[in-house]
Amino acid sequence: MTGRARARSRGRGRGQEPAAPGAQPSVQQEAAKPVMHTPPEGQLVGRGRQKPAPGAMSEEAMLQISAGFQQVKIGERGGRRRDFHDSGVHTRQLMEHVKESKTGVSGTAIELRANFMRLLSRPLWALYQYHVDYKPPMESRRLRSALLFQHEETLGKAHTFDGAILFLPNKLHNTETVLCSETRNGEKVEITVTLTNELPPSSPVCLQFYNILFRRILRILNMQQIGRHYYNPDDPFNIPQHRLTIWPGFVTTILQYESSIMLCTDVSHKVLRSETVLDFMYSLRQQCGDQRFPEACTKELVGLIILTKYNNKTYRIDDIAWDHTPNNTFKKGDTEISFKNYFKTQYSLDITDGNQVLLVSHVKRLGPSGRPPPGPAMLVPEFCYLTGLTDKMRADFNIMKDLASHTRLSPEQRESRINRLISNINRNADVQNELTTWGLSFENRLLSMNGRVLPSERIIQGGRAYEYSPWTADWTKEMRGLPLISCMSLDNWLMFYTRRNADVAQSLLQTLNKVSGPMGIRMQRAIMIEYEDRQESLLRALQQNVARETQMVLVILPTNRKDKYDCVKKYLCVDCPTPSQCVVSRTISKPQALMTVATKIALQMNCKMGGELWSVEVPLRQLMIVGIDCYHDTSTGKRSIGALVASLNQGMSRWFSKCVLQNRGQEIIDALKGSLQAALKAYLKYNNSLPSRIIVYRDGVGDGMLRSVVDYEVPQIMQSIKTMGQDYEPKLSVVVVKKRISSRFFARIDGKIANPPPGTVIDTEVTRPEWYDFFIVSQAVRFGCVAPTHYNVVFDSSGLKPDHMQRLTYKLCHMYYNWQGIVRVPAPCQYAHKLAFLVGQSIHKEPNMNLDDFLYYL
Amino acid sequence: MTTPFSPPLYMQRYQFVIDYVKTYRPKKVIDFGCAECCLLKKLKFHRNGIQLLVGVDINSVVLLKRMHTLAPLISDYLQPSDGPLTIELYQGSVTEREPCTRGFDLVTCVELIEHLELVEVASFSEVVFGYMSPGAVIVSTPNSEFNPLLPGLRGFRNYDHKFEWTRAEFQTWAHNVCRDYGYSVHFTGVGEAVGHWREVGFCTQIAVFQRNFHDSMSNAERLEPSVYRLMYKVVYPSLSDNNIYQRTLVNEVLYEAQHLRQEWLSRMDSSNNAHFCAPPLMHLFQHGAEGGTRDWQPVYQQGGTICVPLACVWSSPRVRALCGSVQRLRQELLEDERVRMSADGTVLNLPAAEEEEEEKEVEEEEDVKAVSVVANSVEEDWDRELGCCGNI
Repeated sequence: MTGRARARSRGRGRGQEPAAPGAQPSVQQEAAKPVMHTPPEGQLVGRGRQKPAPGAMSEEAMLQISAGFQQVKIGERGGRRRDFHDSGVHTRQLMEHVKESKTGVSGTAIELRANFMRLLSRPLWALYQYHVDYKPPMESRRLRSALLFQHEETLGKAHTFDGAILFLPNKLHNTETVLCSETRNGEKVEITVTLTNELPPSSPVCLQFYNILFRRILRILNMQQIGRHYYNPDDPFNIPQHRLTIWPGFVTTILQYESSIMLCTDVSHKVLRSETVLDFMYSLRQQCGDQRFPEACTKELVGLIILTKYNNKTYRIDDIAWDHTPNNTFKKGDTEISFKNYFKTQYSLDITDGNQVLLVSHVKRLGPSGRPPPGPAMLVPEFCYLTGLTDKMRADFNIMKDLASHTRLSPEQRESRINRLISNINRNADVQNELTTWGLSFENRLLSMNGRVLPSERIIQGGRAYEYSPWTADWTKEMRGLPLISCMSLDNWLMFYTRRNADVAQSLLQTLNKVSGPMGIRMQRAIMIEYEDRQESLLRALQQNVARETQMVLVILPTNRKDKYDCVKKYLCVDCPTPSQCVVSRTISKPQALMTVATKIALQMNCKMGGELWSVEVPLRQLMIVGIDCYHDTSTGKRSIGALVASLNQGMSRWFSKCVLQNRGQEIIDALKGSLQAALKAYLKYNNSLPSRIIVYRDGVGDGMLRSVVDYEVPQIMQSIKTMGQDYEPKLSVVVVKKRISSRFFARIDGKIANPPPGTVIDTEVTRPEWYDFFIVSQAVRFGCVAPTHYNVVFDSSGLKPDHMQRLTYKLCHMYYNWQGIVRVPAPCQYAHKLAFLVGQSIHKEPNMNLDDFLYYL
Repeated sequence: MTTPFSPPLYMQRYQFVIDYVKTYRPKKVIDFGCAECCLLKKLKFHRNGIQLLVGVDINSVVLLKRMHTLAPLISDYLQPSDGPLTIELYQGSVTEREPCTRGFDLVTCVELIEHLELVEVASFSEVVFGYMSPGAVIVSTPNSEFNPLLPGLRGFRNYDHKFEWTRAEFQTWAHNVCRDYGYSVHFTGVGEAVGHWREVGFCTQIAVFQRNFHDSMSNAERLEPSVYRLMYKVVYPSLSDNNIYQRTLVNEVLYEAQHLRQEWLSRMDSSNNAHFCAPPLMHLFQHGAEGGTRDWQPVYQQGGTICVPLACVWSSPRVRALCGSVQRLRQELLEDERVRMSADGTVLNLPAAEEEEEEKEVEEEEDVKAVSVVANSVEEDWDRELGCCGNI
């Protein structure tokens, strides 16, 4: 966007013309007129936050815009209205201390390139919205558009028309233009085209328009739309062993970023399978035999997403109709037709196996024009392709390796893929034609910008402090031989093993003994218990041997089959709360790796019993950090699990953890409110005072869910805090953490394109003007591209400077005890994730509260 | 207008074309007045050997709106068809001569001519039969004799109809065309009335024209359009594309070979008996049909390699369907770099052991350069900086 156009977008429209209600005020303007979206009553009641809204944007104008917004559906597929970009959530304007600036200062500058391209429009560009009226009224949308575009010479080539609202890139001579058309049978029709809006480049309607335009462009480039993204079908790669086909493609969004409208585009891959459900059923039947087939089939197939052969639709398999075959009939219009005949006449598809059972999908999509869903869809397995990866495939190291070799791109490869898209856009004549008729273009290179690399932290351990190599972001080596902050001695503990693993159990025990000394862990000999390699006998062995005074249970599992692991965790987290450690025999079978593995096990066991490993300097006192994450359990009726983890001490080395199972129709935060109160009570118990600052890191917020966090969760959190006492008013910050984002950054190191180093903070250009947000690249990756994490401070009464917020966040990424290095998100989020995952995958119940003060889920 | 027909008349018209295509198997088909591309979309499924499918309409807006419905489906990429298919859409008029429309096997004009003025019908005849001279032409148009049976109908069936012919009028026109341009015709239709009303004929009358002379155009090179405007063109993935064929075949072969390998390995694992392995039943059966298991060779191991004889892979019906002979299969595989074969091309080599998950610690080199200074050891106090140390 040009400077002039932008200047105009800040203010109102010119002179006598209708004002542009879609204009997105820049931050400076917001400072003057603070409330654009008034939060619903009773929310976000804070000091100086309840000023009445000076009428920058009247309610009506907003309504009008959103009405227009909904009607812009040019060539859009599907009727989903969810806003995946969380636009329109204006949180920054409510935080006085970041209105002027939200950038930090620490660290050294680094030159970066980001996967963003500026959208350029000619000076004074605007989208003109017209209302179109027909006299006499015309019903057919097709006819309406045919009649209107008899006047292409008046209206111009570029136009978008949905039957009532017309968008043009150029302004017509008059505000009201009357055109005369004639239908083919000679009826005269008067068409009145009236200017209703002049939309500046950054208005929401324009942004939606750009996105639609860009999709058109991708289609011109012969990309196939799958879901929300576009993929290139002409350049696939295959993993023949599993009949996988992978299409490379792009995720794209055009949005108003900090200083300009940009296209953000990242490489994405789609896994498709050239295997039909019928193929899958055949091989499953071969594997498990006729007897177990129905059960196995239901277990493997239900919940999978399939793609039909005869159109591009996807369905979720909800059930299998064991009593239906393609010879069954269904009602089409008012005649009965068999599935077999239907597919033959409709699509010329032959069913080879007349005995295959049908699949059932409960379609939730509404029928045409909002009618109720047409009822369950019956699908023929032979015509359904499987999609995505199964858990089994994910667990297969070889598949994942093959996949990674194609999908994991080095920074250099990723950048060149994106550059190739840019040059395709610029080279393709049709694309250029489409863009120029609208008066738009893209800058033909990636955005260059500056970031900062935060200083690396000092790791404090046992009275000593050390530094780590900033490139590897890992201190495994540095901590060798140093005592831990605090150690729990192992006096009474058990080790379970199978007969086959008796030897490895012995050598593990010895090695554990060897490595625990230098750490400062006193370790008595474990009581060794042999169990038979069956789930029931393992459970029995646990029941018979684990006592109240047992401090730790170590179980050596013969395979990484999930059922035994689940059984151990279920019993020891719910029924008989005891810290436990499972290890697969294969992991400890290699003598050369045993030292490393034993060290990790010893550290992990220590944490689980309440020991502390290391710490970083946290220059804020009476602070409680809270991490929240959820896990969506698809197997048990899509129940969500929420986990809350809160710090209990200054060094961020002790944590209180709570996990709740969400009830149907309940928001996750409702269930977590009690957990937050419990955490505050635990803090009080440990410190004899309540925290004066609380910082909540909220992970697991999906695209388009930000609004509900701001409008609903934040007030709930505040309410929950209030219950600790009427005069208790701690400073609160709520930060939404997002890992799955498409922003990428590239650094140039030694003349090569590389990942930015750990600690790189980005808080300009690619952030959003309406948010207090920043990116941190915290971890180091050895292969592929590092993914930055996005932090969005949606509420902040702490007054902390942005610089401190960024550094504190980075410090917390050092505190995850299961990894001797920096992780992608603040430790409490990682802990919460781990806990929710354990409960969702294995336990399916709320863990016993006796474990709340321990990191038992590591 | 309510439709007393089931299936609806327009469907019956499309079905008529589909049935024709099924019987006569034209390779190049052009549909005039394709509008929403419904017929093209149907023919795309009921291909029966069609290789070139062209739609022409005078209204470019309709074409632009609907053209993407003709794009290949995801499954067309996952399972490429045997024969090639190209779909093209043009904006243009049937009364204009367009060189690239010559040499077609079939031209369909479903409910088209009645939208032309009578003078235009003459030039339509000249262009389609005289200039394009395709192998066959299907023309359908309303039979006005049927109109009294349509409830509530006054005048023409559609506001845009310029005329509606009786059977006699239609046949006169058709016979004239045959005489002028060397075609023969037979008449039929869809939508019959019941009982004594049968005499009025079909609701839609159809003329099927066949060219009487051989045409040399059909194999001529495709020309670029010079009068019509190309709106859309898509080439469907098919096995006639060498790259796609090669890729599909190799995928199928590797899938089969990997499975044989896996099967062999698991049998080895369970029996620990490396000397004999019986052929899987399925293969025995297939070979039985082929005339004995004489040339059946087992999978075997040689050092770190599992050797899968080409003959084993050849027994897969999918591979057979793709490749006419073992010789061709061998030829194709020898050319591909993804397949490792023995020198004589009889055995596929696959690694015996899966690569193990690497767990070795990579000792990072020490000479990584410092990116930034380590935080200075001066203790910070953000509370004090914020001036809120008072309440602590």
